[in-house]
Amino acid sequence: MNHAIKVENLTKIYGKPGKGVTAVDHIDFEVHAGEIFGFLGPNGAGKTTTQRMLTSLLEPTEGRILIYNQDLAHDSYPAKRMIGLVPEESNVYTELTGWDNLMFTASLYRVARGERNERARRILEAFGLWEQRDMKAETFSKGMRRRLSIGMAIIHQPSLLFLDEPTPGLDAQSARAILSLVRQLNAEGATVFLTTHLIEEANQLCDRVAIINHGKIAKIDTPENLRRNIQRVQSIEVALEPNGHIHGEALASLPGVTTSVKLGDKWRLYTEDPPTLLPLVMNYTASQGLRILSLNTLLPSLEDVFLEITGGKIGAIQPAQQADKPRRRGKGGGR
Amino acid sequence: MSYQWVQRFKDELAQAWTVAIKDIRVYYLRPGMIMFGFMMPFFMFFSFSVRRELGAEEGLARLLALTVFFTAGAAGPFIIPTERRIGTYDRLLAAPMSLLTLLLGKTAVGAFFAIGVSTVALLAGLLFFGVNITQPALLIAGILLGSLSFSALGLVFGSMPTTNPGDVQMPSTLLRWGLLFISGVFIPLSEMAPAARFIAYLSPLTYAQDLMNQAVLGRSMFNPWIDMAVLFVSAILLLWPSHRLHKRAKVLGR
Repeated sequence: MNHAIKVENLTKIYGKPGKGVTAVDHIDFEVHAGEIFGFLGPNGAGKTTTQRMLTSLLEPTEGRILIYNQDLAHDSYPAKRMIGLVPEESNVYTELTGWDNLMFTASLYRVARGERNERARRILEAFGLWEQRDMKAETFSKGMRRRLSIGMAIIHQPSLLFLDEPTPGLDAQSARAILSLVRQLNAEGATVFLTTHLIEEANQLCDRVAIINHGKIAKIDTPENLRRNIQRVQSIEVALEPNGHIHGEALASLPGVTTSVKLGDKWRLYTEDPPTLLPLVMNYTASQGLRILSLNTLLPSLEDVFLEITGGKIGAIQPAQQADKPRRRGKGGGR
Repeated sequence: MSYQWVQRFKDELAQAWTVAIKDIRVYYLRPGMIMFGFMMPFFMFFSFSVRRELGAEEGLARLLALTVFFTAGAAGPFIIPTERRIGTYDRLLAAPMSLLTLLLGKTAVGAFFAIGVSTVALLAGLLFFGVNITQPALLIAGILLGSLSFSALGLVFGSMPTTNPGDVQMPSTLLRWGLLFISGVFIPLSEMAPAARFIAYLSPLTYAQDLMNQAVLGRSMFNPWIDMAVLFVSAILLLWPSHRLHKRAKVLGR
């Protein structure tokens, strides 16, 4: 297997050894060439610290990083030529125009003079910024700056692209456009290392996902395998009427329910054994004279897996993060 | 030297130039640069020179030393912490170039600003006060070498691991004010106490002022070659603490 990134025993301790804070704790992982690799974790888990070490912005305390078999500690120059970096903040030069931002980066990465204009034109057209190419970036919206920032990171056609939280704070249209761009770059051959706390983003984009927590890698697998391997956060989702919202306590007290969560007009009942719980829910609704608007059994979502691994409380999910649609099986809708 | 290393060297020079030109375009109109870089030397000059019996030649030599000193030294402490704060510095650090190349580019920015402002001062002296330059070649050398040396000095402060320009502008300004009064700009070295004169010998500004005096007035304390050598060597030596501080920032993660 050809590795774009190979990390061995990587550690970062801020402060004095023995007294400092361990941000990344002896982690090992590999990113295969050509894949989109998601790096998921709660705030403060060590995601950005790891990414900064991989892009040579931060000195590791211990460990080894290979970028396409080039040891970063030995000589970072060849690796840096292959890397494109899109940091969390869109770090464009607001005093320069969109065009000049791209020209500056192209010059910094020594893109041949004859190719710069053509590449910049293609990027600006593809990113919907061609009409605004002569406007200063200070006049750009957040989404436009983000797209320009990505454009600056890919003008030298890197083999490995680092994206740190690419979409938070953007409107849905801009976010979708950026995710589509990432897919396109990957399809053209770039390996993508995506750092994110948005589970749905990782779910939609990534071939494999690493979950980091307290500086350690908790799991690495495909999103699908991660979901399958955690069976105890399966659930049943039910919408009832009339007054379905007042039956939560009763549903939660049914045998086998570990947690109940109200999601809009529905109740999600977490259980290790959906087939046993399902008839109990049906019996309860019948005894109360309730009509079932929808009833679904759900595999764990990636968000459930994430919370399970990171020790978060299932159900303590913010509505904005609930876009992660679990896989549905069994019957749905109807009465 | 192999072709690969020759190409790498050419690339690094071009990258330093790219960084310098970008900084000039981005920062020349920023309030921090205008205040500390462009206006401060003129304020200092007029504060300490008005109503004193100062000939036009002597005034120009002093003004040139002041503009080179203040303008060149203002760029580093303003630009680098600002870039660290808004995240654009990471773009430079992640680029395929050596840290020394980046530092050279940043040194060149301060030097270019200083050359520009001192040229304005020089033109004013020539056109409005009819000053006669005794040794123009030495004047050019003084402006170039002084600009590089003082820009490298400012870069030391800019390299401190902080994201707030205010954190480094204060100590940087304090040091520069201190140097101003012990470097023969306002008080001739010959009038200083031996201890103060000893400290003056350690300040690059002493040699820049001496070189300006030789170029404009035709008299100096040291041989001009000594002045030029000190300015050149100090420009190189002052890159070392900046390099160390950048390495330190990379360990600290700032």
